[in-house]
Amino acid sequence: MSQRRLAIILLAPAILLVAFTTVYPLISSFWTSFHYYDLTRGIRMGPWIGVENYTEAFRYDPNFWTVMRVTASFVLLDVSLTILVALGMAILLLRQGFGKTFLRTVLILPFAISPALIGISWRFMLNPDYGGFARTIGAILPFMHNVDYFANPYLAMGALVSSDVWHWSPYFTFMLMGGLASIPPETQEAARIDGASSWRVFRDVTLPQLRPILMVAVILKSVFALKVFDAIVTMTAGGPGRETTTLAYFTYQIGFRDYQFGYAAALAYVLTAIMFILSLSYLRVAFRRSS
Amino acid sequence: MTAVPPPGARPATIPAPGAALTAGQRRARRMRRQRALKSFEAAVMIVIIVLVLFPILWMVATAFKSPAVVYQYTMWFKPTLENFQVIFNERWNIGRNIVNSTVIATTVVVIATPLAVAASYAFSRLAFPFKRMMFQWILLTQFIPAVAIVLPFYVMFRRLDLLDTYAALIVVNLSVVLPYAIWTIKGFIDAIPIEAEEAAIIDGAGRLRVIWDIVVPMAWPGIMTAAIFCFILSWNEFLFGYLLTRQHAVPLPVGLISFVLERGTVWELVAATGIIITIPMFFFALMIQRHFTKGMNLGAVR
Repeated sequence: MSQRRLAIILLAPAILLVAFTTVYPLISSFWTSFHYYDLTRGIRMGPWIGVENYTEAFRYDPNFWTVMRVTASFVLLDVSLTILVALGMAILLLRQGFGKTFLRTVLILPFAISPALIGISWRFMLNPDYGGFARTIGAILPFMHNVDYFANPYLAMGALVSSDVWHWSPYFTFMLMGGLASIPPETQEAARIDGASSWRVFRDVTLPQLRPILMVAVILKSVFALKVFDAIVTMTAGGPGRETTTLAYFTYQIGFRDYQFGYAAALAYVLTAIMFILSLSYLRVAFRRSS
Repeated sequence: MTAVPPPGARPATIPAPGAALTAGQRRARRMRRQRALKSFEAAVMIVIIVLVLFPILWMVATAFKSPAVVYQYTMWFKPTLENFQVIFNERWNIGRNIVNSTVIATTVVVIATPLAVAASYAFSRLAFPFKRMMFQWILLTQFIPAVAIVLPFYVMFRRLDLLDTYAALIVVNLSVVLPYAIWTIKGFIDAIPIEAEEAAIIDGAGRLRVIWDIVVPMAWPGIMTAAIFCFILSWNEFLFGYLLTRQHAVPLPVGLISFVLERGTVWELVAATGIIITIPMFFFALMIQRHFTKGMNLGAVR
């Protein structure tokens, strides 16, 4: 049997399944995004309307730009906090010392918990009357006593971001630990012998060598952040107002609450386009690293 | 970075040029700073452990609280198993969600793993046209937002009358899990030395024989890691379950929503169900801990 024949036999089932479950829906949504499609009027797709669904988003729907602003601030906050926390924890964990094996095991836990469960738990924990977080924060910071976290845009956003940071920073900690461990220690030692302070060694020697994997982490986390959905449903439901409605959640609302499938498909495509740009930069960084 | 002075450090007896302090003084200051740093580190570590464990412990405690104690800010209470009995009664019937999630996640893993092994062997060892392109394309599918996938599938499943069935959820979950499994398992097959396979081929063994007798056993830890990870992904999956089921095929995480009632959320039942969702995943996650990032640089993207 030739290699090519064998390759086809081995690949065909997986490739066909991937094509059916990803490529087909992607093309189908793209097609839908150029049609009027109101699911409340029946399962049949309406007429072709060109780019009207897209102009609706960019020109007429005032909510769209609110949602884009919310999405941008969520991604920015979420990504920077997660990566900073992860970097700090990675550095801490790589230094040998008491309790670090324990901490490494503990860090697996948040990652194994379903984000939907984290979201609903956060809502419970932040209840001003009996929530574990809210009462503890209120005890430490008296002015935070009896605050309704989900009525305040900033606090609601903070709650959402904190839950995602809690869930994801362990994963990125392990990833960055791998990156830090692969840096040859000689370079850092050389700098130290030359009299550089720890901070200088970190900034001028360690960080530049960590850059590629840090880039990968930032891009990946941005993708994860754009996909956040479960915790929004179970924690804030996009509120107060639309202050925690990200593009993914907005698309869901348009599609599955208002049943405007044509407009929802266009919104999904705006999201897909953003992801696509991110994924291409990911491929460039990741494949440059491996080759 | 470490407390030990580097091997090439200047001997303490020779004063550094232009130094205001003697070497001994400098070393003492260095030691003090090291010690301060160590206690600072320990403090940070304790804070991290508390932040990680506090919500988990609070939810665990809530699961064992009787309804009256749930609304109190306390860790002192008489534990009860009542909540776990309640979630299994006819009203909530969490047992049904457990069955649903188990069937869906198991089927997804059983379908995805062998397909992924076959495909990743081809990607790892065989030469064929468009190989690199196909592989990158598989990778890119992980970046597609789930909302874009679910719209057409919703219409299709509604036409085929498959909404709220296992089949629907198995298909859409495969879209997440299969590319991830191919990616992970290929990494592990790449790491296997090729000599054993070459020797077997020279001895006249067929390729399929080689895959079954040599590659699969050697890549077994990787295959298990991928399988377990895929199970966790499907088990914790929420979006598809939320949008494609109503009452028959509702998976466990979506079942949490049923405790959110008009008059408020029944937190102790949320917590009890949360424990049931999470405990098996804890054990799975601990099993693959060693490979936590090796295989999954890309996993779980969607």
